[in-house]
Amino acid sequence: MALISIKNLSIGYQTKGGLLKAVDNISFEIEQGRPLGLVGESGCGKTTIGMTLMGLLPDNARILSGSIDFQNHDLTQLGEDQWRKIRGKDIAMIFQAAMNALNPVMRVDEQVIEAIVTHKPGISPGDLDKRVKELFDLVEIPRIRMKDYPHEYSGGMKQRVIIAMALACNPQLIIADEPTTALDVIVQDQILQEIRSLQMIMDTGLIFISHDIAVVASVCRDICVMYGGQIVEMGTREEVFGTPCHPYTKTLLGSYLSLNNEWKVIIPTMRKAPDLTLKSGCCRFAVNCKICSNAGTSGIPSWINISKTHRALCCSEGIIRKKK
Amino acid sequence: MRNQIYILGKLMEIVIIFFVIMTVLFFLFRLSPGDPVSKVVDPMLTPEDTQYLIEQMGLDKPIWEQYMVYLKNCSTGNLGVSFHYGEPVFKIIKERLGWTILLFTSSTVLAALVGVFLGKISAWNKGSRLDNILSISALVCYTLFIPWFALLLLWIFGFKIGIFPLGGILSPELWVTNSSWFARGLDILHHMILPLITLFIINLGSYLLLMRSSMLGVLREDYIITARAKGLSEKVIRNKHAAKNAALPVVTSVGLSLAFSINGGALTEQIFTWPGIGRELIFAVSNNDYPLAQACFLLIALVVLLANFIVDMLYAYLDPRITH
Amino acid sequence: MPIWIRGLPIDVRGRTKGVFMLKNHYVQRFLQSWKIFIENPLGKTGVIILFVFMVMALASFVVPHINPMYDPMIGIDPNISISTGPSLTHWLGTDNVGRDLFAQLLEGAKVAFIVGLSSAFFSIVLGMVIGMISGYAGGTLDTFLMRTADIIMVLPSLVILLILSSLFGQFNIWIIVFIIAIMRWPAVSRVIRSQTLSLKHRPFIEASKVAGASHLRIIFRHIMPNVLPLAFLYMTFRVTSAILVEAALSFLGFGDPSQVSWGMMLQWVWKSGNMFHAPYWLLPPGISISLLTLAFYLLGRAMDEVLDPRLRKEGRA
Repeated sequence: MALISIKNLSIGYQTKGGLLKAVDNISFEIEQGRPLGLVGESGCGKTTIGMTLMGLLPDNARILSGSIDFQNHDLTQLGEDQWRKIRGKDIAMIFQAAMNALNPVMRVDEQVIEAIVTHKPGISPGDLDKRVKELFDLVEIPRIRMKDYPHEYSGGMKQRVIIAMALACNPQLIIADEPTTALDVIVQDQILQEIRSLQMIMDTGLIFISHDIAVVASVCRDICVMYGGQIVEMGTREEVFGTPCHPYTKTLLGSYLSLNNEWKVIIPTMRKAPDLTLKSGCCRFAVNCKICSNAGTSGIPSWINISKTHRALCCSEGIIRKKK
Repeated sequence: MRNQIYILGKLMEIVIIFFVIMTVLFFLFRLSPGDPVSKVVDPMLTPEDTQYLIEQMGLDKPIWEQYMVYLKNCSTGNLGVSFHYGEPVFKIIKERLGWTILLFTSSTVLAALVGVFLGKISAWNKGSRLDNILSISALVCYTLFIPWFALLLLWIFGFKIGIFPLGGILSPELWVTNSSWFARGLDILHHMILPLITLFIINLGSYLLLMRSSMLGVLREDYIITARAKGLSEKVIRNKHAAKNAALPVVTSVGLSLAFSINGGALTEQIFTWPGIGRELIFAVSNNDYPLAQACFLLIALVVLLANFIVDMLYAYLDPRITH
Repeated sequence: MPIWIRGLPIDVRGRTKGVFMLKNHYVQRFLQSWKIFIENPLGKTGVIILFVFMVMALASFVVPHINPMYDPMIGIDPNISISTGPSLTHWLGTDNVGRDLFAQLLEGAKVAFIVGLSSAFFSIVLGMVIGMISGYAGGTLDTFLMRTADIIMVLPSLVILLILSSLFGQFNIWIIVFIIAIMRWPAVSRVIRSQTLSLKHRPFIEASKVAGASHLRIIFRHIMPNVLPLAFLYMTFRVTSAILVEAALSFLGFGDPSQVSWGMMLQWVWKSGNMFHAPYWLLPPGISISLLTLAFYLLGRAMDEVLDPRLRKEGRA
């Protein structure tokens, strides 16, 4: 059985310019121990999904439709009090450390302790101490640095503390939102390794959100490619990266410079940003899509199954299949 | 060790700034029109006394020696004799200082505490009716003209309703009779209420507005989302994570707005005939009693510098980034 | 690529290419900003209050010509020798020697505008120039200027004015304005300095340095246009404090004796012992000072919101 399954989820932001659909009719499932990656450019709605799974949407955002099934609950129906019991305990989030995610005036260990005590109010001081030390060992931070303040830490160490905080209560699902984006390459690699091995040891579910395909490919076994609030292609890592079908996926992969043969594909120019006010069900990519502009399609895409696990959302089934 | 160096550095700063202020005042004094002797020595004195004072202040010597003597006299508290009181000014201002500090400290601390608390509540409920009422009243407090507000209080509570005295610190009958300390204390408190309210209200507005905007800024920070993601209750997030960070700039501003409050303090003392330094300064200026005015000014400057020092220490204590 | 400075896009290419594009840009930007500004309830309230006081200040030029007894300083109603309440001839009543309070109130508005605007203008010019030089030059000069700013910043301006007037006697209004300006530049220059520091290493400054522009030209031609909006924002706050300090000084009796200001009116009602009997005399000047201060403060806040879009109430896209 899937750990968490999201069905037909749509989320909108109420703005001065009207309702923006940041997430449009999205469905996917996460299995325990099978990391899933959400890839896409900034503003494609991947962080919105992460925040929805934590129940931390901003005030002007609203879940328009759909359901999120987790442990026989529908998370979309939960009240604030119920959410608080789940947050940090069953579902935890790894934030980007560069974004000031640690409180500057609190000692680092206090911030980790807080995460434990909130969900285990009755824990004995001895057990608590043991658990905190265990966590710091797990993320490889020397114990003498436990009592420091965040500004005394390097970027990589801050990121490790944030990981430790997320692991504090042995959550079943971890959402990692661009955890390595602002780190330099070597630290990035260490952190990725850390996340990979911890995920393996603890056997949790993991959603990895990033705009960096290389990073996602190194951690995740399943990939969802997002564009303009829609999942446009999903499948295993090998399928999506080996035989991309959707024109956007190809663009995304093509924009990666490789050493041996410069540009793998000719990249179609992206002229316009996706229109998020479009009616539900319309293809958000159509404005930039070569297939649509040539063939004059309906603009209403449908899911095309390429293999048992691999599918793409496109208006033109014929071209997708032929190109494959 | 680093802490001691920090404190020492700050103290050195105060000494240097005070020295600069004394120097500037000395040269302004020499620049001012008229005979310097007649400005610092009471013309009513006998020739012998005049000669004695001139020698003591080195007024018969060349300007550099005069400057040295002046610095020496200032540092030993020998600031001349008041024309009006006919006593050494040091003795006079020593008596006044306590009253100023009593009124000033109590009103500042009270206003800061209440302002920070209300500002926190206001920012937390941003856009609500409570927030609107609080910010508008804070704005009104902030823009009130101090002497006018004081006069208004006096008119309403001192004259129309008549529950508070019109000025002074102690009722005359308590001076004469052998009253207990408790009765005297209570009477002082009774006299203090109107000036205290004036200074409190004036300071409250700026602290509230500052705390509110600081808190709104902090609530946008990522560590607030981190705190939410841990599943902490809203109250803990507000008081432990947000308010502590938001109060830091307020502490800094206490130092910066001291100058403003001292202005207000002098005006308040003048209106309520509160026998403090500010009133003495105004009195000295209107009676052309320069030795007294100079002493009051230097003392106020010193008090401001020391208060800033205390604020710096408080800030360093609250913000680990300074000392760690 | 536009550079964003406190939320205002400033086109680097436009700036280096020529003045023409720049001017166009300014007009466009001004119109956009004005729209946001006037839609803002704070800004609207501020503008309305300010407008009323401006009309009052202008009226002060006319009133003495209607009847010489309405002169705020020397005009005396021959029939009145004590303070009287509002009547048809004296809308707000008279003071204890028979001068018209309404005329004094109008005159006070004029003085408040003169004091507030000119003092704020001086302190902004001073603060901007010092801030730009300090930030641009760096090194010892920067340290020296900023330490001076620190010292001045902690000193209470009213107390300084008091000790100065005990040394030099009573000042006229322009000297008071100037002293207030000198007391008030540090806060401005600190902000301008940090803005200059961030501008200093932007490509368009580097480019004009390479092109051989002099330091003065870089400061006034390239840096100044970028810090001006911020300086204007600070000006509104300086106006407020200048008005308050002048009023306080006049209230204590150390103002310019030849000018009728609101602070002076309050001093007269207080010193003449009419405070408890003449609310028609006590209330208007104080309310006027507070309202005018409020108006400038609201204006500043609204401007801040125009300059800093983060403060605007808008949903995230």
